Parts: sequence; structure tokens; C-alpha cells
Amino acid sequence: MAEPTKVGIIACSGEEIPAGTISRQATRRVLELLRPQSTVTLCLPLFLAGEEQERRFARQHPTITVDGCDKLCAKRGTEQYSGQVAASLVVTDILGSRVEKCHRSTRAFDKADEEAVWAVAERIAAEVDTLASRASEPAATTSSGGASCGCACGGKSAEGSLRVNGETVTVPALPLIFDHVHKQGVQSGDACQDQLLDMVRIYHAIDPCEEQLYREAVAKAYTEYCQRRPQGVAEIE
Amino acid sequence: MERSDPKEQMLVIPCSGMGKVQGLISREAALHVADTLMPGAADTVCLALLVTGDAATRAKVQTHPCVTVDGCPKLCAKKNVELSGGNVALGVRVYDTLKRHRGAAFGSPTTLSEEGWAAADEIAAEIVCAASQLSREREQES
Repeated sequence: MAEPTKVGIIACSGEEIPAGTISRQATRRVLELLRPQSTVTLCLPLFLAGEEQERRFARQHPTITVDGCDKLCAKRGTEQYSGQVAASLVVTDILGSRVEKCHRSTRAFDKADEEAVWAVAERIAAEVDTLASRASEPAATTSSGGASCGCACGGKSAEGSLRVNGETVTVPALPLIFDHVHKQGVQSGDACQDQLLDMVRIYHAIDPCEEQLYREAVAKAYTEYCQRRPQGVAEIE
Repeated sequence: MERSDPKEQMLVIPCSGMGKVQGLISREAALHVADTLMPGAADTVCLALLVTGDAATRAKVQTHPCVTVDGCPKLCAKKNVELSGGNVALGVRVYDTLKRHRGAAFGSPTTLSEEGWAAADEIAAEIVCAASQLSREREQES
């Protein structure tokens, strides 16, 4: 059964203002507590610095941007490099004058900050639910190669799995990583292990003590992917 | 590019990476310097605003000494300040500091543990120390 499409959440994390801190903390709360199974995040500076994998990931997922202020850095940056976002939230719009009681360092967080984080997180979660329900409706999506539809329609799930130390581990964007590497002409084998691992690490935390296990697992999966080409388009289970 | 005055406000710019505890440490270290250790003498700018090309922010990094604080080897803060024509007087790498505390649990990308706060404070103190040294050197030069 196909897994539901993940929703990408990109926070501005603006350092100058408390609302930037709220954008970051609220996004983290959705990822960790409210919708951990259906959301992922991207690192905005890395995304804007030109990491093609990150930009491609955002092109293929419905994306919510969470900006601290009306300068809309996260929204503008995402739309510049990856197309229209599915939803744009602005902390100051959600909180109004309540944001004036917030702090820019979590060191100084108090009840006002906590309430602000919850209020924004709940708005993000509501948007995630709306997008998820939209994605589950029958729609005119491309039947093959849909991974590059270029909009936030929630087409194909861009997730793959690895067998690591006998356990199945879900890795966001794995099919896209393999597509990208394959298009670069990278052959399967030992030489590509570190390159693949570095890309997987962007989307999936890897414990340093499990690094070698992941290195071997991702290389094996890529070999299998290459053997299946050109019949399948990144059909990783 | 004009030369920075040693008495000018210093900008401390963290990467604030979303996915790792190092990102939060970079952010909290920078804010500790700007808000507590060097209030008035240091401040920060939004990295996202800089990277999206905001003219006022670009001008600011071009005319003030900058300290970048990066959580991972991708060095997003340092690279983006340099790409914007900024003067990186000091590039701090959080992971270098954390290596000195192997085995410590620093917390998560959302919340720092006691050891995480200690690491942020240690980095902040290093920034203040380096800023003082830099200031002395520039005063001697001028």
C-alpha cells in the first residue's frame, strides 16, 4: 500500500526577531509531536544556498512555509527555487500583538512563548491535515515519472526504505536521491558509498555508530535500483 | 569594500540549522553574545533575509565585522555571508567544540540539555574572547 505523501515544512527561523524563533519551535513541535508521521523539514539556508537535492525535494512535496514576519523569506525563497508553496503561514498574522511578549532566545522562554509556539504549531498541523486530505482525493496526477510534476499536488510519495542491521528503516527522498545520482552517471559499487550516504544524511539522522551499516545498506539499495532501471522510476519499496 | 571600524557593532550570524542540535546550539550561542555578553556591541541578522538578497541586510554584513556560527560542515552561514560580500572576521564551527565533549548529550534540535546549554555558553565565550582579540589587533593597526 502506498504511504501518504509527506508534507514539507520550511521555517524562516529568523534570528533577529522573536517571531523567527517561534517559527522554528512551532515547526519542530509539529515534526516531533503533532504530525511526526506526515511531515519533514528542510534547512532553509541550505536550501537557498543551492542544494539541488533540497530544492527538488520541495518541488515534489506539498510545502508549507512558516515565516516570522511579512518579509516572507521562507515563502519567497521556496517559490524562487521550487515553485509555488501549498500554504504560507506568518507568525505575526497568527499571533497578532501576542508576539510582543515573546523572546528570541529559548533560554528566556516563558508561558507566553510556550502558548505562542502551541498556537502556531496547531495552525501548521491544521494545514498539514488539509493538504493530506487533498492529496488522498482522487486527482489527475501523472501515472509515471510523477516525481517531477513541479507543483505541490502531493503526487508520488518520495520515500524509500533500507534494510539496516536486519531492520527496515524509512528514508525520506531516497528514490529522488537515487534518481539524481543515477542521472549524474554514478555507477553502483563501493566508490559511490560515501556520496550516497552524505545525501541520505541530509534527510535522515544517522547515528555515527551506525554509519557503516547505513553505508552498506544504501549502496546495496542503489545497486538494486540500478539493476531495475530503466523499467522503474525510483520504485523503492 | 570599506574597512570596518573596530568600534563598530559586530554581527554574529548563526546557521540555525533545523535538523540537528548543533543548529540550535549555534543559534543560542549567537543570541547569548548579542543579548547578554555584548549587548549593543554585537547583534545578529536573519540569515534567510540575507540569503534572499535583502539589500539592507547585505549592506550591513558588508560594512560590519561578522562572526559566523555553523552547526555542520556545510557551513551555510559562512558561505552565505561571503557570497553576500560580507567580511567574515571569525568562522566558528560548533562541531569542533562538541568534539571536545565526546559522549555528552546536548539535547535535540528543539531543546538543549544542560550540557547543550553549557556548549552554547562555551562557544559564546569563545566568540567574545576572539572579538576582544580582534578589536585589540585592529586598534593597534589603526
